[in-house]
Order: sequence, then structure tokens, then C-alpha cells
Amino acid sequence: MLRTALRNLLAHKARLAMTVLAVCLGVAFVSGTLVFADSTAAAHRAAASKTFAGIDVTVTDKAPEPGPDDGSRAGVLDDALVTELTRVPGVAAVRPSVDGSATLNAADGSPLRADRAWSHLAGAYVPGKDGKDSRYPLTEGRAPANGGEIAVDRGTASAGGFRIGDTVTLATDGPVTTKRLVGIVSTDDARVTAGGTLALFDKTTAQKLFSAPGHYTGIDLTAAPGTTASELADRVTAVLPADHAEATTGQAQAAQQAILVDTLTRGYEKVPMVFAGVSLFIGSFLIVNTFTMLVKRRTRETALLRAIGASRRQVSRSVLLEALVVGLSASVAGFLLGLGIAAMLPHVLGGGDSALPTGPLVIGPRSVAAALGVGVGVTVLAAWLPSRLAARTSPMEAMRTAEQPPPAQRFRLRGAVGVGLLVLGAGRLVSLSGAKDASEENLRDAMIGCGLFAAALIMLAPLLAAPVIRLTGRLTGRLGVTGRLARENALRDPRRTAATAATLLISTGLVTGLAVIGHSTGQALDRQAATGLGADYVVSTRSTMTGIDPGAVRRLADTPGVRTAHPITDSTLFTGSGVRQISGADPATVRDTMKLDFVSGSAEDLAAGRIAISTTLAREHGVTTGGLLNVRLGHAGKLTAYKVVGVYKNNPVAHDALGSRGEVAANSFLPGSVQRVLLRTDGPPTAALENRLRTAVGNNPLLTVQNRDQLVREAAGTMGDLLDVMYGMLGIGVVISALGIVNTLAMSVAERTREIGALRALGMDRAGIRRMIRLEALTVTGFGTLLGLAGGLFAAWAVGSLANGAIDQYTLVLPWGTLLLVCLLSLAIGVLAAAVPARRAAALSPLEAAANA
Amino acid sequence: MTADLLTSQPTTGIAAATTDLTKVYGSGDTRVVALDRVSIAFREGEFTAIMGPSGCGKSTLMHCAAGLDSPTSGSVRVGTTELARLGDRELTQLRRDRIGFVFQAFNLLPTLTALENITLPMDIAGRRPDRAWLDRVVSMVGLSDRLGHRPAQLSGGQQQRVAVARALASRPAIVFGDEPTGNLDSRAGAEVLGFLRDSVRELGQTVVMVTHDPVAAGYADRVVFLSDGRLVEEMARPTPDRVLDLMKSLGSRSHSG
Repeated sequence: MLRTALRNLLAHKARLAMTVLAVCLGVAFVSGTLVFADSTAAAHRAAASKTFAGIDVTVTDKAPEPGPDDGSRAGVLDDALVTELTRVPGVAAVRPSVDGSATLNAADGSPLRADRAWSHLAGAYVPGKDGKDSRYPLTEGRAPANGGEIAVDRGTASAGGFRIGDTVTLATDGPVTTKRLVGIVSTDDARVTAGGTLALFDKTTAQKLFSAPGHYTGIDLTAAPGTTASELADRVTAVLPADHAEATTGQAQAAQQAILVDTLTRGYEKVPMVFAGVSLFIGSFLIVNTFTMLVKRRTRETALLRAIGASRRQVSRSVLLEALVVGLSASVAGFLLGLGIAAMLPHVLGGGDSALPTGPLVIGPRSVAAALGVGVGVTVLAAWLPSRLAARTSPMEAMRTAEQPPPAQRFRLRGAVGVGLLVLGAGRLVSLSGAKDASEENLRDAMIGCGLFAAALIMLAPLLAAPVIRLTGRLTGRLGVTGRLARENALRDPRRTAATAATLLISTGLVTGLAVIGHSTGQALDRQAATGLGADYVVSTRSTMTGIDPGAVRRLADTPGVRTAHPITDSTLFTGSGVRQISGADPATVRDTMKLDFVSGSAEDLAAGRIAISTTLAREHGVTTGGLLNVRLGHAGKLTAYKVVGVYKNNPVAHDALGSRGEVAANSFLPGSVQRVLLRTDGPPTAALENRLRTAVGNNPLLTVQNRDQLVREAAGTMGDLLDVMYGMLGIGVVISALGIVNTLAMSVAERTREIGALRALGMDRAGIRRMIRLEALTVTGFGTLLGLAGGLFAAWAVGSLANGAIDQYTLVLPWGTLLLVCLLSLAIGVLAAAVPARRAAALSPLEAAANA
Repeated sequence: MTADLLTSQPTTGIAAATTDLTKVYGSGDTRVVALDRVSIAFREGEFTAIMGPSGCGKSTLMHCAAGLDSPTSGSVRVGTTELARLGDRELTQLRRDRIGFVFQAFNLLPTLTALENITLPMDIAGRRPDRAWLDRVVSMVGLSDRLGHRPAQLSGGQQQRVAVARALASRPAIVFGDEPTGNLDSRAGAEVLGFLRDSVRELGQTVVMVTHDPVAAGYADRVVFLSDGRLVEEMARPTPDRVLDLMKSLGSRSHSG
């Protein structure tokens, strides 16, 4: 008896430990993410204040718009002002700077850290009185002395594979230039150390590139001891020409920069937070299940308590107290695990190239509160139902003899509620299939629909268990008596089976839905990109802030093998309701390089005052060919009525609207600029031709040269992230499901020791017992997987219609490989999870059959 | 003093036998000798009852003889097979093919119907049951109209009849009963005992039953008495009164001694 009691206690402990683990995982993701966010924010702040360490006040031009206003660009920050500022009392040092941006080509010819366009810093090496620039201490070589030389920082040099003496290809905005690397400096600038690049020119060259000869973009002042930054700022402001320049303290700039860098590097939290949500949601089922099983197991004990006078409230409270303890310990464990995650995240997310600033882990009260709140809250909430169940225990149960068959479960109420939810959820989803676009309202509807639908499936799962498992049982039944017994065991307590399967149902459903939608969208984007593009090559700038210089456009057109070169100017289009993209094209060649599918009208009539628009835009504004649309082009001053000369099916190459290039370019961000050149070639694309094209644009790091395949891949590239998230969720779901399966099977083995003993006595060997338990696990996982698969497919079909409105050519495409993988993984995890309970069952002695209850 | 005492029974062969069977639980201070060099033979076609006070080792003797438990020393044979040499797999097969069990707690699988429970040992073995034999056994225990029922839908007596049918259905060499009437009222108990005796008389089955009930022992052909792990007495053609008398005298003997 002692042995069984001990074994029960151990089994009990293991079961609670598994529950703890599930909650722990969720808490770990939440707290890990928050700690990581706090830590990086702190690191960014620290790095930013380091950047501005020696700067107390900075003087800049007022409203320094980097716009195209010629002449006024020079500003008032010249050498005269520098000299004047030196004389302001309390100023210890003055350092003028000339800042801009420059993109470099790495030694292998590819653009260096191209994904970080916002932190390609460039500036002037400004020697002080001692001939050295204190801001950029040289570590190697010497300072750039003329227009043909540059210096870079150590990080840039190692990332780009540069050595002193190398020729470096770079571009600031327009054409490409080459410089000789003469020096390597070190810098504390957070933008550079957080994965950017830095290029330093001599003062004259920098002024030519980024301001005007003799002019600076900023003047940094250091206060003398005894003068505070704000005092100095006040004194400096008094000297400055009022409307043309302003003074800012270094502290304010640091704060600003920290926020900027932080926002730019943000977004990392989303994925771990999704994981946290999924693991906690799925984990809550595990908690409900475990506590329900524990409560049921202790029915007699509870009944005895009730018989000797414990009130219902006391009974339910004791269960909740237990949940509190479990939740608390899970939260603490999860928090510690979360610290590990937070410490690891920079390495996982940062990769080799884009180093996130490292610093000590910052454990804010927010993280602690979230960990405890989430862990304890979820556990106690999930234990609430089982606690009510315990409270309902009748004192009479104590008198009953052991082997009472469980009372037949009634599902009438559950069935009614479940069907109600199903009708609501499915109805909402089906009604979406008529929707034509992915408006916010429709998306919200879709989310609510999916939520209701999932809830309905979970509610109905116990009712569906019997028919579905009977069906799958036909398969397992072929495996003889063990298969039949496994099926019957899974059917014995449909509620428990359903609750165990629910975790898999959710993860499989989520992943199936995402996989189908992602795959279908990817395929649609592929097709769209492929069908919308008539060109063989596209040369484009990485941002709309820069243009392709006219020389490069000419050289591209003159490249042997190029038949047509079609320059496009990209700009913005303000409609009454929002900002869209417009492409300025040439009506004569547009047909050649874009495959436009006109619903009405054509592109041939494009001219000043006339535009063609996409079907989406047309629908939104209720305009058709021949109508008028009030829009504002780029920098144009006011809304103008444009005549719509054509409506084409959404086309990613043409964007939302087409205008004549002359008109769009006149109002674009950089007037007269070109952002894309679409090329038709004489023959099929060859590597030699691609090389010639790259040479034509001078290997400009600001420009990309892509062929059709690369463009199509890029269009579908965004789906890659989704895929990662999806597999992450599947992984978490599967791990927690495995815990749940281990839990349930261990429980059912513990409950059936006598039965298993009898089977052993009657001649079933250990392998048979193991097979029976494994098949039971397989049946339960199969049930969850099937239901999840069906639900996910249905939801994907319904939600897909939203995509259908937003993306032309969207059709439901099933990713068979992924779906098969999901199924196999789920089933495999079932078998794997059954290993321990199966072994325990097989180790039971046939004497258990003879043991007296 | 074992076999020779029974002259009336035609001694055809030995279904199972133990020689110097010893079973010890624990060690040191907690050492308990459950069986102390017990030698006994169960003849084919005979109904034997094993009796004795609680803790005398009668259940242990049966468990060892049936291959459910392993002896500390000594030998157990079923037919000509020496159990001590068998591994778990062979023992399992032996139980499946040559031994039938009737437990005090019935031990039917609640998820299977009565018929499925009866054919379970053969299903486990992957054998088809002998239809005619099965019908005979089922009709003998009077369950023909209850075969589709689940155990929960049957009374205790009916459940134990299913268990008896299960034990007989695979034509085992020997059937062991572990207090088969312990959970039944006297009428249902009498029924079950009747079936066991009929199986011996009509089907030529060998049955060994552990019991503490003199009335149950009265159904047997022979009763052996155990006390403190030793075989102490044996009685042929017992009646409840004679068994009771003997138990009383054994009890006073052990108290006085």
C-alpha cells in the first residue's frame, strides 16, 4: 500500500510538473520579451548618451528640410558663425560637422548592410587644434585629406572586408564614385554600432556632398566647467540669427536618438509575444485538464472532507489555492527561463551583421508584474472550472465502493452552446466569402469569426470524439485487439480525450490556416509579379528618397542587348482618404514593359491631367473611365481633378495609379528623378547581360538590378517570415500538446492498473500493452489533428476570400507538403509522448489484477 | 501425504505441481515467509480448493502456481513445463494459452462486450475461438442472451459468469479461481461454483480455487489447508460441515500451539 501511495505521489508530482512546464513556457516568452525590450531600450539609451557624450549643445539650421530648394540649402552655419560661437562665454570647444549619408559596396561588390538604409552615416573628418578629430579617433592609417580619400569605422571595415589602400565604391545620392580608403577610425555613435555604416570625407568634399562649400550641417559645442548645457543653449540662442538656426542640448538629442533607434529596431517583440499567447492559450487547456483529473481522482477524499463538514467554498478554495501555488512556481521558473531567453534573443535576432547593442539585462517592474500576472492569472482562471467540479462533489461519494463506472456524460447543454457558437462563427466566416476587400472591418469580422469558430470546435470536441474516433478506429481496429482496446479507451471519457486533443486542435488549426493562406497568397503574389511585369530586368533605387542619375539611365538604354528602357518615376498620390503610390510612365513604352490588364480605357491616353487607376482605387472612389478623381501628386500644392483614362486590374508593377512621367516627375520628391528603369532585352537574360547592366549603373550600391525570377522571389519573400512564425507556433503547440498527452495517458494508466494487470494475467505481453497505450495516444492525437486540419482549412477558405478582394488571382492553394508535415509531426508527437506512460503500463505486474481495491 | 490419500479419483495425470515452493517477502526485520517448502500436485479433471486463514499464503501459492508471481525457490510445473526457466514473454504465453483465471473482482474490461470479454484471451493470441466449444461454454453459464451487453449493464453474478466463461473458453489446461465468490451474494456465488464444478464434471476441466468459505469449498473434490505458509491438512470429498469442523480444530490447534 505504501508503495502505491508513494507511486501515486510521484505520478502526481510529475503531472503537476508538466502543468508547471506549460505555464512556465508561456511566462518565459512574455517575460523574456519584455526584459529584452527593456534591456535593448536601455542599451540604446546608453549608446545614444555615449554618442553625445562630449556634446552639450548643437546648433543646426532651423527646419533643415533636405528638400530640393536650391541655394537656401547652404544655410547660415558657416565659418563665420563658428568663430562667433567660439567667443560665446562658457564655450570650451566648438566642432562643426557636415553630416549626410553614403552607401558603400562591400569588397565583394554587394551593397553593405543594404537593409539598414537609415544608418548609412557619412560625415566630415574635422581636425581640431591638434590636427586630430576627437570625435573619430584614428585607429589605423590617416585622415582623408582630399576628395579621393575616405575613412571608415572599424565595424564597417570588418563587415565590408576593407583594408587600408582599398578602393571603395560608394554613392551618396546620385551617381556612384570610388574613393581610396586611407584611414580607419573608431566611433561610439549608436546608429553605427547598432549595425550601420560610417564613411568620413575630408571637410571640403563633405561640404560639397552634403551642404555647400564653406557651410556645415551642425555645430557642436562643449560647455566649459561651471556652465550647464541649458545655460549655454540660452546664451547661444541669443547669438544665433533668430529664424535660421537653433540650439539643442546634447541630452535632448540623445533622448531623441535613443527613441529613433529604438523604434527602428523594434518589431522584434511581436513574434515572441505571439508565441507567448499561443503557449498560454494552449497551456490553459492543459491546466484545466490536469486539475479536472486531479479533482476527479480525489473525489473520495473530497467527499470525505465534505462528509465531515467542509463547505463547498472551502473545497473549491483549496483547489484554487493549489492552482495559485502551481501558477506561482511556474511564473518564477518561467521568469528565470525568460531571463535566459532575453539574454539569448540579441544573438538570435541580431545575427552576425546587424548587431543589437549589448548591455546588462534590465529587469523592470513591468516584466516581473507581467510574468506573475500572466502565470498566476492563467493558472487560477483555468483551475476555476475544476474547482467548481470539486465543490459539487457529494458527501455520498465517500460511501461508494471503488469501481463505479463514470456516470454517463451529458452533453445536451454543451451541444446546444457549441452548435450556437458554430453557427455564429461559421456564419460570420461564410458571410465574409462575399467580401471584396480586406478592410479593417472585414478583418475584424474574420478574427471574431475565427475565434467563435475555434471556441465552437473546442466546445463540440467531446461530442465529435465518438463519431470521429469510431471512424479512425476502423483503421486501428485492424491491428487486432490492442487497436480495439485503444479505441475504446480513448472513447471512455470523451471530455478528457477532447480536452487533451484540444491543444493539438488549436495548434494544428492555426498552422493549417496560416500555411494555406500564406501559401495561397505567396502563389498569388508570384503570379501577380510575374504576370504584371512585361520587363526582363528592373533597375531600381532602394528608396524613393534617391533617384537614378540620368547618365545611368542613358547608359542602361545604350547597353547592347537592351531593346527598350522605360524609366519610371515613383511618387505619392494623396487621395481624400489616404496616401497611395503612383508611377509616372511613358505611354509609348508602357505596353512593352508592364502587362496591364485594362478593365476599361487604356494607357495610351496618359498625359498631363490624365491618370489611369487600379481596380481597387476605382472601387474605393467609385470612379470609372471617363470620370474625374480629385488627387494631389507628390509635392503639388493642392488637390486637382484628374481625368481617369483607364482602370486596370491591380498590378504591383504599376502600383495604384499611372500618370504621365513628365507630370509625376515634376512633383516628385526629387523633381525630375527616376526611381525605376524597366528593361526589355533582345534575348533571354544572361549572366553576361546582367553584368553589363550592373556596369552601366557603375555598381551603384543604391541601385538593385533584378531579373524576373529575383523580383518574383522578392514579392513572395515576405511570406518567409510568416512561415518561420508558423513553424515556431507549431513547435510550441506540439511541445505543450505532448505534455498534455503524457499527462492524460499517465493518468489513465494510473486509473487502469487493475485492468492492465488483468490483460497481463490473461496473456497480453508487454509489447501488446505498450502498443495499446501508443495506439490510444495516436487515436487522441489523430482526433485533434483531424479536427484542427478541418477547422484550419475551413477558416483559411473563408478568410482567403478577403485576400481574394485585395489580391487578384488569389486562389486557394493547398500546401500539401506542409500539411502532410503538420499531420505527421502531430501524430509522431503522440506516439513519442506515449513512450513513458506506455513503459509504465507495461511494467505493471499481472498481480495488480488480483490486488484488492 | 498428498496424492496417496485420494484413491477414489482416477489418477490420469498432473495438470500442475509445486515442489518445495518457497516465497519470501522483504528482508531483515521485515522478512516474511509466505510459503515454506510447499509441495502439491493438482490432478487433471479435479476441482481443488485451497483454504486457510488470512495471511496463510494460499493466494501466494495460487499466484505462483499460475505464473503470476515468481517463487523465491523451489519449482512450479504446469503440465511438463518448468516455470522457473521461463522469461516474461514465455510466462505470458503460458498464461494466455494454458491457464484460465477467475478473479474476485471479476476484472472484465468495461469497454468490451460480454462476448468480447470471453474471447479476449484468444483475441490477444490472435486465434479464432472454437465456435462449437464457445457456444457450449456460453450456454452452460447461461449468458446466450447477454453477449452484447457491457459489464456495467450486468449484475455481479452475471459478470462473474462472464469471467468463468472467459476462463473456460480457451480450453486451458488448468483454471485458477482467486476467491471467485468473494464479491457475490450467496445465490450468485452458488451459481458460479456450480458452473466451476460442472466444468470439471462435464468438460473434464481442472480447477484450483482459493477460498475462505467452507460452503464454497464444499463444491470441490478435494480441499487442502494452509497455515503459516505450510500445507497442514487435506480432505477428500469435503462437505461444508466437515470443512468447518476441520477449520475449527486447526484454529484451536494453532491457538494452543
